[in-house]
Amino acid sequence: MVRWMWRWSVCRVAVSRGHMPFCSTQQEPHNANPSHTGQVTHRPGNQLTLCSLLEMGFSETQAKEMHECATNSRGKHVPSVLTALLLLGLNPSSILKIMQKCPEVYSLKGADLQQRVDHLRKMGLVEGSLQRMISHYPKVMLLPIKRVNMVSRLLREKCLFTIHQVTEILRDSPEVLEEDLAELEYKFQYAYFRMGVRQPEMVKAKLFRMSLSELRCRHCFLERRGLYQTPDKKGQTLIVNPPLKDVLCVSEEAYLAQVAMATAEEFHVFRKLMAKEQEEEGREDEYSSDEDEELGEDKDDEDDDDGVHRRKRHWKTGYKKDRK
Amino acid sequence: MAAYVCTRSFINKFKDSIRFIPRRYRVKTKWAATRPKFPATELALHNFDTSYGIQLRDLWPSIRVAMLCEQKYGALINSFSSVPNAIKDLEAQGCKDFISIDCSRNEVHQPSQDYTTSHRDSTELEPASLQPSISPDIKCLVFPQGDISRFKPARPDSSGILGYYLLDAASVLPVLALDVQPGHTVLDLCAAPGGKTLALLQTHSVNYLWVNDLSGSRTMRLHRTLQSYLPKEFLDESKIHITSTDGRHLGITEEKSFDRVLVDVPCTTDRHSAMVEENNIFKRSRTKERQKLPLLQTQLLLAGIQATRRGGYVVYSTCSLSQLQNECVVQQAISLAQQELGITVQEFFDVYLSNVLLERFTSADSLESVAKLQCQRAKRMLGTGLGSYSGSACHFLNGLGFLMVAAFILHAAKTKKESMKEKKF
Repeated sequence: MVRWMWRWSVCRVAVSRGHMPFCSTQQEPHNANPSHTGQVTHRPGNQLTLCSLLEMGFSETQAKEMHECATNSRGKHVPSVLTALLLLGLNPSSILKIMQKCPEVYSLKGADLQQRVDHLRKMGLVEGSLQRMISHYPKVMLLPIKRVNMVSRLLREKCLFTIHQVTEILRDSPEVLEEDLAELEYKFQYAYFRMGVRQPEMVKAKLFRMSLSELRCRHCFLERRGLYQTPDKKGQTLIVNPPLKDVLCVSEEAYLAQVAMATAEEFHVFRKLMAKEQEEEGREDEYSSDEDEELGEDKDDEDDDDGVHRRKRHWKTGYKKDRK
Repeated sequence: MAAYVCTRSFINKFKDSIRFIPRRYRVKTKWAATRPKFPATELALHNFDTSYGIQLRDLWPSIRVAMLCEQKYGALINSFSSVPNAIKDLEAQGCKDFISIDCSRNEVHQPSQDYTTSHRDSTELEPASLQPSISPDIKCLVFPQGDISRFKPARPDSSGILGYYLLDAASVLPVLALDVQPGHTVLDLCAAPGGKTLALLQTHSVNYLWVNDLSGSRTMRLHRTLQSYLPKEFLDESKIHITSTDGRHLGITEEKSFDRVLVDVPCTTDRHSAMVEENNIFKRSRTKERQKLPLLQTQLLLAGIQATRRGGYVVYSTCSLSQLQNECVVQQAISLAQQELGITVQEFFDVYLSNVLLERFTSADSLESVAKLQCQRAKRMLGTGLGSYSGSACHFLNGLGFLMVAAFILHAAKTKKESMKEKKF
């Protein structure tokens, strides 16, 4: 089918050589670039023509834009790329949006793209979800198959998601494929050990859509307000934890109003404080302790001493304890 | 519940000296291979959730998260220091003196609906005319609300005196409430580590200051603090008397000696107990000690009352939210003072973090109006959301927990003998 299309476009080129019957009805700019069209005619099949674009179903403006971007990208196999996309069943406007979102797609080889798409199909992304995923997140097409496999393996072997769950994760949060593997695992472990959430809930809550810092922020805010508890060894808590999807899948306003029941101002200040805490934990600074931790003390002091800032930062490390 | 376990190493101040360490202090977290099964911080938080959840209701979550985050410091300006532009430098960073902000406001608003009706006819004195009595010399700069910047360490001047002292801004409130007038003798019953003492000295109104703390080492630390902040001439024995004894004895030995008494009692130090594992008062080995705290606090307050002269003020403050350690202690002390000692103590106001102001006045005395104004002022200070990172509830975090201030005015204190005579008729 691809070859048929190739020949077909060749024919078209030959026919329209010098004349560009369709294009002559276009505005001035096209006639003003004879060299452009000249180039096109010399290398049939590898280069994109406006006519072929129109044939594919693009409107004139769309075709113009695509043609311009394609030429700018210096992609050598743009027609085959577009063919592959068309084969997927994507309509021209979706394709245009994809190319706008991710111009790097122009630089791909059609064959590679096709392979990757097939691979994603193998991973369980059925028609419909596949198209949606690609439309939503075109970058996925840039990722080598090896990368996709690595992420999938991590999710299955280290995080113990089922294949179905992995598919769902890829469908809902394709950005997972670009994430650093260690950070991905960390995020999972945070949710698993620190929050006590299990795999099905993680998938339902689209855990991997959220950045780690935002996840931590929303969770710790709830925890410190007394609204979320890490389950004990038996998985029990004294309070009923809000479901993860209620925490993660909602807008910040909804989260604050319904789950945290706090003001936006509180949350924003808390976020700043968390960022600072994380930064300092990362640097593993050694601040000197409170002066009141002297031996023989009955009363702990609150005031500071000698004008020096003391920090009392103590972290629950139940999570880190379990971290592999 | 978030439990925070110490993983940082503590630098022991006395690391060079070898001392006998009482058993309960021996385990240092940095050396411990395992963490305690039930960290004391978790026990503390559980305790708070139970009692404060009921007490504070909707306010508790906001207070809880504020308690578990970094506290907000204030820079108490040291007027004894000659560091140039200390205040200007801080102001350049965006800080403002929270005390003068409040004094400059002219409005005398009464937002609390818990005001009892009897106060409405009390005369309202102009804030401006009363400003001198609200210790304007005490300056405490804080970063604006929501600004989480930290203060840099204080710089010394040419004689080595530091420019400011960092403490929790709320710690200054009891000192403001005390309202020290020029020439007063003041007793600070549980003074260490000395933040409030320093604030007292900033008023430049103290004729004679008696500073006491039970713990010897903490008293030494307080002494060192004062040495860093005061020029040598001010540390004279005749001006500042530092002792390290049981404050309860001072009630008897120093009966009716002081114009002002500050009783900043040992308490469960809520914020500290929620964050710091080491030597936490909520650990099981200290349960008895913790349960006996209210009794100790009552005794200390009683001693403070005894040490106050007729017409003087006593301010009781803690850094705990607990009613048991605040209202209950105050009530108990007042009734004991009446029954056992024949001293009538009038509870002037207690400023509570939920911004409910309870005032009990018997007459529209000008003195009481001053106190009322102080209440309002304190309340407004609370209302600026100082020390709190959340803008919602007007809470104020003292040192580690919340401030509870109760001021007493001793009116027409009768001695035991006099009251007994009256009973005959």
